[in-house]
Amino acid sequence: MAVDKRNINPSHLALAYSYLQRFMPIGAEQLSGLIPYCEFREFRKKEIIVDEGEIDNYLNMVIKGLVRKYIKVKGNDKILQLATEGHVVHSEISFLTRSPSLVILQTLEPTVLVSLSFQKMEEALDKFPHGERLGRLILTNMYIKKDERRYTWMAKSVRERFLDYLTHHPHMLQRIPQKYLASYLNIKPETFSRLKHLSKTKG
Amino acid sequence: MFDSLKIFLDRFIKLSEAEYSQLKEKIIIRHFLKKEIMIRAGDTEHYLYFINKGLIRQYFVSGKEELVIDIISEGTITGSVTSFLSGAPSRYFMETMEPTSVFALSKKDLEALYLSDNKWEKFGRILTTHFFLQQEKHILDNIRLPMKERVINFVSENPNLLQRVPQKYLASYLDIKPETFSRMKHLLFNKRITKVQTSK
Repeated sequence: MAVDKRNINPSHLALAYSYLQRFMPIGAEQLSGLIPYCEFREFRKKEIIVDEGEIDNYLNMVIKGLVRKYIKVKGNDKILQLATEGHVVHSEISFLTRSPSLVILQTLEPTVLVSLSFQKMEEALDKFPHGERLGRLILTNMYIKKDERRYTWMAKSVRERFLDYLTHHPHMLQRIPQKYLASYLNIKPETFSRLKHLSKTKG
Repeated sequence: MFDSLKIFLDRFIKLSEAEYSQLKEKIIIRHFLKKEIMIRAGDTEHYLYFINKGLIRQYFVSGKEELVIDIISEGTITGSVTSFLSGAPSRYFMETMEPTSVFALSKKDLEALYLSDNKWEKFGRILTTHFFLQQEKHILDNIRLPMKERVINFVSENPNLLQRVPQKYLASYLDIKPETFSRMKHLLFNKRITKVQTSK
């Protein structure tokens, strides 16, 4: 087993293992073989991780904190993803096809990411024994989640979107400014306020 | 017989002759009539399909409306992918718009391949990447591009589909009103003629 001599925060490492184990049943012992390929990166609040036009060089998993992925459309920010602990977030097309990013990644809280550069990913796919399978399972998980989101946007009413989200992510209303949640759920800020008020008086 | 599949796969991954034979052994050839349902919402998808010939639409039902989310023709791989990957019931229907013949690969056989050799794991990862990129491109294009640009892109990427796909399905897929689409179609035909002339 390769020994990683870098000074990695043990609690960050433990979190990385437990989040990766959500994708695939694999022991920490085996996963430790992946760590030499990874970087642990720390960001302040409101820091841009990837800007529009840049080539995203990293595949990231959130260890701690919160990242928003968004796209600018006619001057408006449309939020595509709110990534919290254990979520994978990056500019997918840019990273995989080595092209300028259409989306922007920004932290909303102080954030720690465990990141794999494109080059290290290629190496890990070759050399880390479970790399191909883990890679496939991470992509599979992201695909399923994205389809869920896309379906929600297309098929569910504003009210359903609001209630579903708050049921599944009750703590997020405290963590994220309301305007971001409204943008993510594709609900007008005024409507979002009204729905929030209604749900409070009812609950 | 499997030439079109080989051409498709060669874009992504180098398979040896032996590996191709291994894959071919698992493939089932299936034929569907025009307007045949390949999968219904609520059923679980057990197959991926490579379209050798034909045309399919994928849609979901919202109230009384059918909303088209994908139009798939020859030379690509499809299926109700989320259901195939997750094992959960499909949200979407798939229905042919023309008589269609496909090369089908079952989930059971694909998983057996994964277990047989890491090369197939790589194959699976690359295939999943393909689906993943298509999905993300679709999501981003729908959000960022104005309607007109979406229509022009679709037509230039799929020049033969304008004639083959019923207009109401194209309009639904591109998320525009059928009337608007009629008007645009007229413009597009003129554009194409102009393009052909200038390229001479």
